[in-house]
Amino acid sequence: MALIEVKNLEKEYVNEAIVTHVLYNLNFKIDKGEFVAIMGPSGSGKSTLMHILGFLDKASGGQFIFNGRDVSTLHDDELAEMRSSQVGFVFQSFNLLPRTTVLENVILPLVYTSTPARKREELATTALNSVGLSHRLNFLPNQLSGGEKQRVAIARALVNDPAVIFADEPTGNLDSKSGLQVMQILQELNADGHTIILVTHEKYTAEHAKRILRIKDGEIISDELVANRQFATGAKELIK
Amino acid sequence: MDFTPIKLALTALRAQKTRSVLTILGMSIGIAVVITIMAAGKGLDHMVMGQLDAFSPNTVTVEVKIPSTKKTSSDNAMGMATGITITTLKEKDLDTLRKHPNIAAAYGFVTGQAIVKYQNEAKTSLLFGEGYNLQEVEKFEIASGRMFTKDEEESLAQVAVLGSKMYELLFGEENAVGKTVYIKGKPFRVIGVAKSRGAMMGMDMDKMVLLPAKTMQKRVLGIDYYQELIAKVKDRTIIKQTVADLETAVRENHDITDPNKDDFAVNTMEEAATMLSSIINGLTLLLVALVCVSLLVGGVGIMNIMYVSVTERTFEIGLRKALGAKSRDILKQFLAEAIIITVAGGIFGIISGAAFALAIYFIAVSYGYDWAYAVPISSIILAISFSAAVGLIFGLYPAKKAAAFDPMVALRKE
Repeated sequence: MALIEVKNLEKEYVNEAIVTHVLYNLNFKIDKGEFVAIMGPSGSGKSTLMHILGFLDKASGGQFIFNGRDVSTLHDDELAEMRSSQVGFVFQSFNLLPRTTVLENVILPLVYTSTPARKREELATTALNSVGLSHRLNFLPNQLSGGEKQRVAIARALVNDPAVIFADEPTGNLDSKSGLQVMQILQELNADGHTIILVTHEKYTAEHAKRILRIKDGEIISDELVANRQFATGAKELIK
Repeated sequence: MDFTPIKLALTALRAQKTRSVLTILGMSIGIAVVITIMAAGKGLDHMVMGQLDAFSPNTVTVEVKIPSTKKTSSDNAMGMATGITITTLKEKDLDTLRKHPNIAAAYGFVTGQAIVKYQNEAKTSLLFGEGYNLQEVEKFEIASGRMFTKDEEESLAQVAVLGSKMYELLFGEENAVGKTVYIKGKPFRVIGVAKSRGAMMGMDMDKMVLLPAKTMQKRVLGIDYYQELIAKVKDRTIIKQTVADLETAVRENHDITDPNKDDFAVNTMEEAATMLSSIINGLTLLLVALVCVSLLVGGVGIMNIMYVSVTERTFEIGLRKALGAKSRDILKQFLAEAIIITVAGGIFGIISGAAFALAIYFIAVSYGYDWAYAVPISSIILAISFSAAVGLIFGLYPAKKAAAFDPMVALRKE
């Protein structure tokens, strides 16, 4: 059974009687453990697709089946529960809470789960350790570099051990070295068995994934495995 | 119980320290004022009632008033203040009082002001001309020496009893009894010093000098009338009938046929106590109502701050929802913030209100008033329930607004 199955998925926005179609009749499957890049130019609908797959938005038509469960029928609270238990997000602009420590930022997704308070700190520390930030636990986001902020965001995405990690242009706001480092972490996480869905408009970044879904004007124009996959090995050492 | 919303609210409030502190301060000032006013009301009530206690509830007074006015009217007060003097309350009226079967004791009263001298010390003092039987009617105690006698009053003896502070001002630690003081140039032998009585109706009773009423009339003021007659009834249960009898008798003495033209008024202390108590309660209620309006304004302030906070933190709300927070989690967090602010404001308000009330108590006591320090439980209940209601009501709308945010729309605010 596929982890994600999308059948005839449609998305349209209605604004003052003006209907804008964003996604048309999408059909694809993503299995557990895959590293898929959704690639397309600006305005192609790739972020909207990621939001639907990440339970942040609802499709207007078609079906989205996650782990055998039809997501289209879920109401807001159930979607929130799916977000807290099944997915982790890494955003382009990091989206860390200001005036809140690195550790508290990583704990945030656990706050809305039944994880006991003591366990939350332990899990967050482990996640930060895995992205090499165990020495920055009590730092505030404004005391970190861009690369470090994104690593905190990755730790936050990891902390609840999600079925899928969504990364929306995760290298978009980073210099090339930090970007490479982030890609290396994502590849390592995938190698450890995590399913990763990367949204990007850059071919080079997309080629770090195993499979690329190309999207244009709301339609999938190609779905193929990466022939010449890029590996960000050694990026961590490079940054040091 | 899940304390997560409270922890999150505390973290958020800590992140906005200045704003949180200022909001709490605004709330606590309102609550402190409610408590201070209600405590001051209690203190005032105690003081006034305590002063009335000096006259027992069995006391009946006959006071002069301007004819065709009510005793408590502004016309009467203005008339008296502008120098209209009623000279009709005389010895005959006092005799009438004394003859009434329900009157245990009665005396006439006159007052004035004069410079009292002892050697090189000269002090302006209130002079009270009182009856020899003052102690039969009122609480009045002598610290040293004695009270003047009936014979001394009848013979217009030039004797004086000093208030405790007046004694200290004139004599220091020297024994005053047997010494001579001069009032309006006339020698008066000090026969006693009174125990401290505190303030009464705004007057420091310890700075007065007591003379026999008749001596005061004839030798100091040169008059033959009283300003007030004070009596004690034997049976309080028929006090109303006694008042009616006295009104008829004094009216007859004054050749008055129309009660509207009375130049006197017969009052009981019970009436005065009830009236004063209701005035104080009314005033306290009015002030509390005014303060409640200010608390309400404070509540709107809290709503405004919470509303601004929600708008400013749109991104944070979006992020929390994106990371799994349900609408009710956000609602709880923002509601918890509003309640923490009002509860903190309530606690600080109660503490500072109690402290202000204590300060007022010390000031009042230092002025010689018989003030009481009491923070009524009702004021604490009122303050807490009002602030909690304000927090809930005014915190709910911004909290609901925050909870309703679409995570995607909110995240785009970054």
